[in-house]
Amino acid sequence: MIGNYLIGLREGLEAVLIVVLLVAYLNKSGRKHLLPRIWAGIAVAVLVSLGFGALLTFGPKGLTFEAQEMIGGSLSIVAVGLVTWMIFWMAGVAKTLSSDLKSQVDKVADSSTLGLVLVGAFAVGREGLETALFLWAAARATGETWQPLLGAFLGILTAIFLGILLNRGVLKISLSKFFTITGALLVIVAGGVLAYGVHDLQEAGFLPGVHNLAFDVSHIIAPGGVTGTLLKGIFNFSPATTWLEAIVWVAYVVPVMFLYLRKVFASPAKAVSSKNA
Amino acid sequence: MNKTSTAAAVLVVGTLALAGCTDNTTQASADGAISVVSTDDACNVSTDTTAGGTIKFDVKNEGSAVTEFYLLAEDGLRIVGEVENIGPGVTRDLVVMAPQGKYFTACKPGMVGDGIRAAFTVNEAADGQEVSADRAALQKNATDQYAAYVKDQNEQLVRGTEKFADAFASGDEELAKSLYAPTRMHWERIEPVAESFGDLDPILDAREADLEDGEDFTGWHRAEKDLWAPKGYTKMTESEREKIATKMVEDTKELYTRTQSLEFTPDQLANGAKELLDEVATGKVTGEEETFSHTDLWDFQANLEGAKIAYEDLQPLLVGTDDALDEELKTNFAALQKQLDAYREGDGFKYYQDLSDAQIKELASGVDALSEPLSKLTAAVVK
Repeated sequence: MIGNYLIGLREGLEAVLIVVLLVAYLNKSGRKHLLPRIWAGIAVAVLVSLGFGALLTFGPKGLTFEAQEMIGGSLSIVAVGLVTWMIFWMAGVAKTLSSDLKSQVDKVADSSTLGLVLVGAFAVGREGLETALFLWAAARATGETWQPLLGAFLGILTAIFLGILLNRGVLKISLSKFFTITGALLVIVAGGVLAYGVHDLQEAGFLPGVHNLAFDVSHIIAPGGVTGTLLKGIFNFSPATTWLEAIVWVAYVVPVMFLYLRKVFASPAKAVSSKNA
Repeated sequence: MNKTSTAAAVLVVGTLALAGCTDNTTQASADGAISVVSTDDACNVSTDTTAGGTIKFDVKNEGSAVTEFYLLAEDGLRIVGEVENIGPGVTRDLVVMAPQGKYFTACKPGMVGDGIRAAFTVNEAADGQEVSADRAALQKNATDQYAAYVKDQNEQLVRGTEKFADAFASGDEELAKSLYAPTRMHWERIEPVAESFGDLDPILDAREADLEDGEDFTGWHRAEKDLWAPKGYTKMTESEREKIATKMVEDTKELYTRTQSLEFTPDQLANGAKELLDEVATGKVTGEEETFSHTDLWDFQANLEGAKIAYEDLQPLLVGTDDALDEELKTNFAALQKQLDAYREGDGFKYYQDLSDAQIKELASGVDALSEPLSKLTAAVVK
């Protein structure tokens, strides 16, 4: 029960986190009318994942291990691309927001319709297939015991609940802090997703070095424990991280964070200086 | 963020999904799947051997911690297949395509450490089963198998040559004659490999007609001429025979030493098979090889076997990529063997000079029929 609950929680958090930060951002910047696009993307991802998962579990065809890893790994890397775009889009829109040109802002936002749908779809979809396969496997066990399925559902509900709390929390903080924090958080989350995608491709044998570990702290942070689950769910942190994962994480997070912070902090400064002039 | 990237994403996922699809039902085992029960301190796999091809594991977690199940390659490092996130009470499937070989199964309760491992063997695939998606592994498998065959034939060649040389040197002509053709078959089966050593081949296998001025006539055909002496030929003295015999054994051992560390590539195997057929066409079908003993059909049979082994080692590479060529080669190898079988007598064959012109012509056309598809083998296996 606990084990299945933690799986649900972890997979749920991985999917929910990006969505929550995006939703909070749209709420905060007064663009609630764009929310349906996010929901649409999520709905598509959930339906496709559940359908595909059911087909693979109960249908005549299964998916080979390599294909599963390739799909999971590639979707993760595409998701990172989308989230990175989103981070800079948010930073850019935040800048125009501060100069209070509401109509222009909406134009920019409206032009990114498909982008928002895709961010929602990929944030959920990259974990969707894996989660769906797990859920259907749990559902298949319901003849013997209903506990696995219940555990997994409670885990996912907890993740959504934590997401709602996070949404409320970040909504309370001041506007300038909000952009900095959500963006920075997203950079770290995206770095984790990228490292995780790389790990999948290493396991599939598509990239080398799956056994060259940069560090292994799994004796301190058990991967199946609560701490390990939360760290993995939020930051995609793996207690046994390969060198390639670690290098990719640093190579992504450091420059992106730098560029992001520069963009965020440069904009108000410019606005101030132009007013002074 | 536009239509192109959406289309690209859809395409990537779609292609992967299609390329990675595999039958849920499998003939790998009688009930279709191998059951694995993972507990907190044990990993019970229902069998430790299965047939190659699509293999399905039903992994049930009867422990209290989340577990994972792996199929690892022989080195214990490369992951052939894995299924993660098996919650307590949950059964999940792992479907892998694995070629013949040695593996390890491993359960990893709590997702920590190297897991609870056990050796696992995949046998030859059932007919018609696709063996692997990994061509590199198949190619390695093919060349490894062929290298083992070459070693084995060489070993037998050394032992046979020693016996033959003894009989020849001691003047036991009857025994020497009976050992001649069967022993040479070990040489003829791996002729392209033996011929690759330009210094050993002429001293062991040169025919008198092919010798250049100043070259000594030694080796197998020197002994052949002495055993089946033509008219007007003066037989060797005992010490001359001794010298030829000793040299043959020495050189054959040298060949053995050199072939021990040989590594092959798929194109060498395929080209070698073609060379063997060319050998048949230019030497055996014409009766030039064994001018005095007329045991050309023994050599013919050995060349054919050598080519067939190379083809059979490479055959898994044709499955699914060039089934038509595979079928053609299989048919033509069998057809030529059938033709040759018609001339079997006891343990051996008819002597070449007892064949009629029509029979020789028929054999030659059989060789051509096999030679033609065999020339396409190299291109098909290096893909």
